[in-house]
Amino acid sequence: MNLILAVILRLAVWLLLAPLLPGIINKVKAWVAGRRGPPVLQLYYDLAKLWRKGVVLSTLASPGFIAGPAVAWVALLGAAMLMPLGPGGTALSFRGDVLLLIYLLALARFCTAWAAMETGSAFEGMGAAREVSYAVLAEAAIVTAVLSLSVQTGSVSLVTMLSPSAGAGAVLLAAGLFTVLLAENCRVPFDDPNTHLELTMIHEVMVLDHSGPPLAAILHGASVKLLLFAVLLIQAVLPLGALSAPAAAGALVAGVLAVTVGVGLVESWLARLAFRRVPLLLTTAFLLCLFALLVAWKGGAK
Amino acid sequence: MTELLLTITSVAMLTSILAGARVPQLWLTAMLVSTISALASAVLVLGSGDVWDWRSAFLLGGERLHFHLDAISAFFLALLCVIGGAGAVYGCEYWNDAGHPRSARSGRVWWAALMLSLGVVLLASNGLHFLIAWELFTLSAFFLITLDRRRPEVRAAGWLYLGASHAAVLALFAFFTMLAARTGSWELGPMREHADLAPLFWLALFGFGMKAGVFPLHIWLPSAHASAPSHVSAMLSGVTIKIGIYGLVRFSGWLPVPLGAGWVVAGLGVASAVLGVAFALGQHDLKRLLAYHSVENIGIILIGLGFALVAVEQGDPAWGALALAGGLLHVWNHGLFKALLFFGAGSVLHATGTREMSQLGGLWRTMPWTAGLFALGAAAISGLPPLNGFVSEWLVFLGLFDATISRGPSAWAAIPSAILLGVTGALALACFVKACGVVFLGTPRSPAATHAHECGTPMRGAMLLLAGACVAMGLAPVVFWPAVSRAVATWRPAWVRAELPAPLFSLGLAHVALAVLAALAVWFLWRQAYRHGLSRALTWDCGYATPTPRMQYTAGSFADIITEWFAFVLRPERHEHRPEATLPVGASFAEHTPEAVLDRIVEPAGGVVMRVSTTVRSLQHGRVQSYLFYLLVGLAALAVLVLFGAGH
Repeated sequence: MNLILAVILRLAVWLLLAPLLPGIINKVKAWVAGRRGPPVLQLYYDLAKLWRKGVVLSTLASPGFIAGPAVAWVALLGAAMLMPLGPGGTALSFRGDVLLLIYLLALARFCTAWAAMETGSAFEGMGAAREVSYAVLAEAAIVTAVLSLSVQTGSVSLVTMLSPSAGAGAVLLAAGLFTVLLAENCRVPFDDPNTHLELTMIHEVMVLDHSGPPLAAILHGASVKLLLFAVLLIQAVLPLGALSAPAAAGALVAGVLAVTVGVGLVESWLARLAFRRVPLLLTTAFLLCLFALLVAWKGGAK
Repeated sequence: MTELLLTITSVAMLTSILAGARVPQLWLTAMLVSTISALASAVLVLGSGDVWDWRSAFLLGGERLHFHLDAISAFFLALLCVIGGAGAVYGCEYWNDAGHPRSARSGRVWWAALMLSLGVVLLASNGLHFLIAWELFTLSAFFLITLDRRRPEVRAAGWLYLGASHAAVLALFAFFTMLAARTGSWELGPMREHADLAPLFWLALFGFGMKAGVFPLHIWLPSAHASAPSHVSAMLSGVTIKIGIYGLVRFSGWLPVPLGAGWVVAGLGVASAVLGVAFALGQHDLKRLLAYHSVENIGIILIGLGFALVAVEQGDPAWGALALAGGLLHVWNHGLFKALLFFGAGSVLHATGTREMSQLGGLWRTMPWTAGLFALGAAAISGLPPLNGFVSEWLVFLGLFDATISRGPSAWAAIPSAILLGVTGALALACFVKACGVVFLGTPRSPAATHAHECGTPMRGAMLLLAGACVAMGLAPVVFWPAVSRAVATWRPAWVRAELPAPLFSLGLAHVALAVLAALAVWFLWRQAYRHGLSRALTWDCGYATPTPRMQYTAGSFADIITEWFAFVLRPERHEHRPEATLPVGASFAEHTPEAVLDRIVEPAGGVVMRVSTTVRSLQHGRVQSYLFYLLVGLAALAVLVLFGAGH
């Protein structure tokens, strides 16, 4: 009974808090630009509205066009359920769960790219192609980051991997993971979510033809993914396990907020990269993670 | 019990060979009886761990018959039975007498012959009989590949296969004869204490590696898999290349292994995995694409086997067992989903008459079953949870991570391997999004694709069986664990451990939860979409007015970013005609990724050999006087050698 309650509570945290992050980012951007900006809760209003709307499907779309976003959403939530929340621990933890998490993100990618190919349009095909191609480099960076945490802690399970800090390589790891966060969540300098449709070139171009509840699932899933990466980054860098429970929870929340504000600031101050530069920046992220791995190797716990 | 089952198997299989030409129903019945009883015997051995050993006084080639069914043999035998049985059912419709009056009969006979000889290879415990069965299976596979031999590209693929296979057989011949010479007997069995046998491993690696399609020995594989009838492609990719893996696993378990062998095998595995999928991305032919994915998956299997060998060298069984278990489980998994994918590709070929992805598209409308099952296979081969491909890749990953954590010298190989295995997974996902998207989604790109039709019950049934197996192994991996752990224990008896080295139960639990929740979410989202009104309109895409099929993203453009990264190995050929002048008349662009190793290394090398041979050949011109002169020179040389060269 306690377990079920814990799972429901955890699910509620992820479901309810995730849409807050894009709102905060937009607020930060508006603040830097000297505008008032949309309310922080804007995404909640959008989701509520989309959920009650009808759907316009492309004449070419198969049932997979709606199934794709649904499965992707479940995969992202599943990944979130594996991620420990500071002192709150995790719903399900086992050796190797971190690999399941990485592959759940891949499952979500497969489903959204599949749905993009349904429409038979060159634009969405282009977005899907870029998404799956750049993900190759992002995946290399994530696996390297996870390896460095494994070497640091001697474990392959998220709970034990994330409770101590990343040691001397923490700065490198933070820089690498932050870059991956920007790439995986379609943020400047990789992509521009600001224009939302016409000018986004990777992730959101894939969802051009979605509408109504499936679009709501996609947008909500994207916010969960952003929160997931922010939580991963903070826990990988800060030694939350060494703090008392309230302090750790506070540090986690403050850290996630700091990352969110950081994303907003990057977005305000940087322009989007030219496309041929995207692989270079992702390779840099990979190298940062690799150096973090080497630092962990040299100065490890063992 | 095993003896009875295997007797039934062999009698039924012989019946099947005899009945193949005239009585298709009897052929199929006998084939199914045979595969089911052989499967039962394999399950019996894998379940109980008992070894079945049978010697007869009957002599073949001067050697007594000796069959041996242990967990490793049974592991591969089970795969052979499932794929062979499903392929036979599929072939009944796919390559039937009405459609292929010239070759359907011989196809059935050779299929049964291939199954029988593969079974004998797996059971043979005598080097000579192993070689005989190996040669028979190579030949049966050749005749199956060239069933449609009126087409020149099929004949070319067949010859290439035959040539490559015989290069492999040559190496194996050397391997087995040297083994027999050094041990004094053709009998096979554990002989780890003979340290002088270790160098023979390199011969086995070449011979079996060629059969398995390890990069760069894979040159025969793409064309043979693409040109063979699809049920034969499924058999080649699902089973026969795994027989190469069987050879490596078998003899690296029985014989001592030279120092550094594990590193070489793991290195070959990583190269095969990454380059296999890179080549696959460059392909526009659906079956060639799948063929290159076989190279990739063989690579993943070899990473597992290689690290197990490294673990043997370093005496660290904990992660070695994990890596080997992952590799072995991937043998099963790849057999299942690759056969499923080839069946799906065959169904597309059957319905549209083309394998060119640029001619296909939008097939889900006319072929919903094929599209759905192909998508399932694609998700499985991309290693996505909750399907079986993820389970085996996860085990290999765990082995690599544990090797890294152990901080021994092996970590230096484990770190790049783990990163590249992750990259391979992401590349495979890209490739299968491309394949599924271009073939099954969007609008049809040709009239053939518009008028496609769904396949019939036997083909669909075979696909459903394999898809069901993929799902079952993904959701309940713990059920299949005893079989894997018995095979690992047979490989290295010292590695036997009671407890589960990996939390497969938790993984299975997570998979079941994921599957159930995903199904619920799909249902819920559909309901929500329907409740608020669902209307159909033209693809919007920021203002499409009159989309045409040619405006869709093609396979080439989809893969372009990644093939550009790998252009230094892939060497794509581009034919470009740019629009010129103020009023351009026409423009075109075509890109093709040939088999780089074959075109750039093997063929030039062959050319050199041919040129040298042509030069030498001028010595032989039919003039008796010159021949007498050669004899004289030869005799004189011999005389000089005897007079002055004798050392004592």
